[in-house]
Amino acid sequence: MRQLEAIRARGATAPEAGGRATPRRRAAWRTALSSYSFILPITIFGLFLLVYPVLYSLALSFRDATVETFVGGDMPFVGLSNYEQILASSTFWQALENTVVFTFCSILFQFAIGFLLALFFQNRFPLKNVLIALLLIPWIAPVLTAANTFKGLFNEVGPINQIAHLLGIPTVPWLASPGFALAATIVANIWIGFPFNFILLYSGVCNVPPEIYEAARIDGASYWRRVAHITLPILKPVTVAVLMLGTIYTVKVFDLVWIMTGGGPANTSHLLSTYAYQVGFSILNFGQAAAIATVIVALILSLNLFQLVLQRR
Amino acid sequence: MTQRELFSPHFSIWPRQFVFENWSNAVIRLWPHFATSAIVSICTSALTLLVTAPAAYAVVWLKVRGRAAILSFMLTSQMLPAIVFVIPLFVLFSRVDLVNTLPGLILGDMTFTVPFALIMLGAYLREFPYQLVEAALVDGAGQWRAFFSIVLPVTMTGMITVAIFSFLMPWGDLIFALSLITESGLQPLTLELYKAVGVYGIDWSFLLPGSLLTALPAVVFVVAASRFIVAGFTRGALH
Repeated sequence: MRQLEAIRARGATAPEAGGRATPRRRAAWRTALSSYSFILPITIFGLFLLVYPVLYSLALSFRDATVETFVGGDMPFVGLSNYEQILASSTFWQALENTVVFTFCSILFQFAIGFLLALFFQNRFPLKNVLIALLLIPWIAPVLTAANTFKGLFNEVGPINQIAHLLGIPTVPWLASPGFALAATIVANIWIGFPFNFILLYSGVCNVPPEIYEAARIDGASYWRRVAHITLPILKPVTVAVLMLGTIYTVKVFDLVWIMTGGGPANTSHLLSTYAYQVGFSILNFGQAAAIATVIVALILSLNLFQLVLQRR
Repeated sequence: MTQRELFSPHFSIWPRQFVFENWSNAVIRLWPHFATSAIVSICTSALTLLVTAPAAYAVVWLKVRGRAAILSFMLTSQMLPAIVFVIPLFVLFSRVDLVNTLPGLILGDMTFTVPFALIMLGAYLREFPYQLVEAALVDGAGQWRAFFSIVLPVTMTGMITVAIFSFLMPWGDLIFALSLITESGLQPLTLELYKAVGVYGIDWSFLLPGSLLTALPAVVFVVAASRFIVAGFTRGALH
């Protein structure tokens, strides 16, 4: 009824205005205007807090922005000098290599553990949903919780070394040894990230129609053959999404390594993010830090482009 | 939780029977920072929803120009590490006196909650039956009225899930707090715990209970709303 009335009312006003459809046009205008008011806040926010900072960071990377120039306010233009200094530093290359190793190893193990768990949770057993919720905690809880816990576990006199000592294995000061510090952070990151892989793969596994498994079982296919020929192919789109998102999340890691090792010992466990932070906020050279940040942005954008090209094929 | 709790006695410099004292000490010392974290996280979550809920709806259902631009820009922003925003924001905020203020920290935290929330809400809103709004518009309701009286109530589950995530993300943030808050008294929980690792070595009897306490809201939300969280996860990530 109300709809009918509304239509009638509109029909009645239109001819009254005389000739041209001005009221209708005005109404259309008003609709468009209110539509745009929906995106006004995010546009303002995006321009001021996302676009502007990134461009500012880019500008900063071409300037001499250290403590002295920063306080004075005039940061002289220095061209590519920040980039030259960064590319000449061995810590930068070490951090780049670490970022690649960290990302690759984390994702490999996170995915493997997540996948095996997803397969396991295909079975029915009591308290399954409670267990799923508990498994999510490492991912949802603050990184700081896991970072400090693992810092304790890998401590020189921590549980891991105590157990090693009991078993007669020589102990290692994990976080204070150049070779082991990065490995320890990778272990911690696997613990943080596996639930994400698990939950996405699990929701993918749940979408596999059980009849297919049934048919394959009747045909005599073994469990692992069924996994390889049914589960894996069906999970392919989910797998691509998981690996892609996992890479993005892992390249973004900062807190974990910063808390556990601070990039040490002797700068051997830096990621690009922690190195940029150190150059910016410990050495207080914001120009160089911005240059590293620009390199990170370039790497991520090219990774993204690469993925788009892969998807097109 | 309990499994990790078991580790704390190993490091405790106190004998076993005093272990509970570590917890009460941690609670007493962290209480003000708990409040700071709560203020920052609640404000971030509320402002994030205020900015992204209408925008996500408009991007999915309204004919506005630039919707593709907004979406792809937010997707790209979500991929960038916080360090890319922290460096320029510190320099910019120190010019406008936003360093060492909670509004400054909230704005900084929003640089990662807003892109995240927009994408996740977009995934939720795609399933919203737009015919409901069309009917209301024919009835003469304005766009905003339709948004508040129809879209919000119908998509409440999604809104709450996104609000929870937009609360937990700033709650666990360290990098923005570390860079934008240098004065004592304003540190959120994570920063206070990070700074507890001082020159005199690590006081594990404080650090470990404190770190576990920081995880409390996350654990509560997981237990209380695990179903929504699982659904939210898969939706936001796969669409």
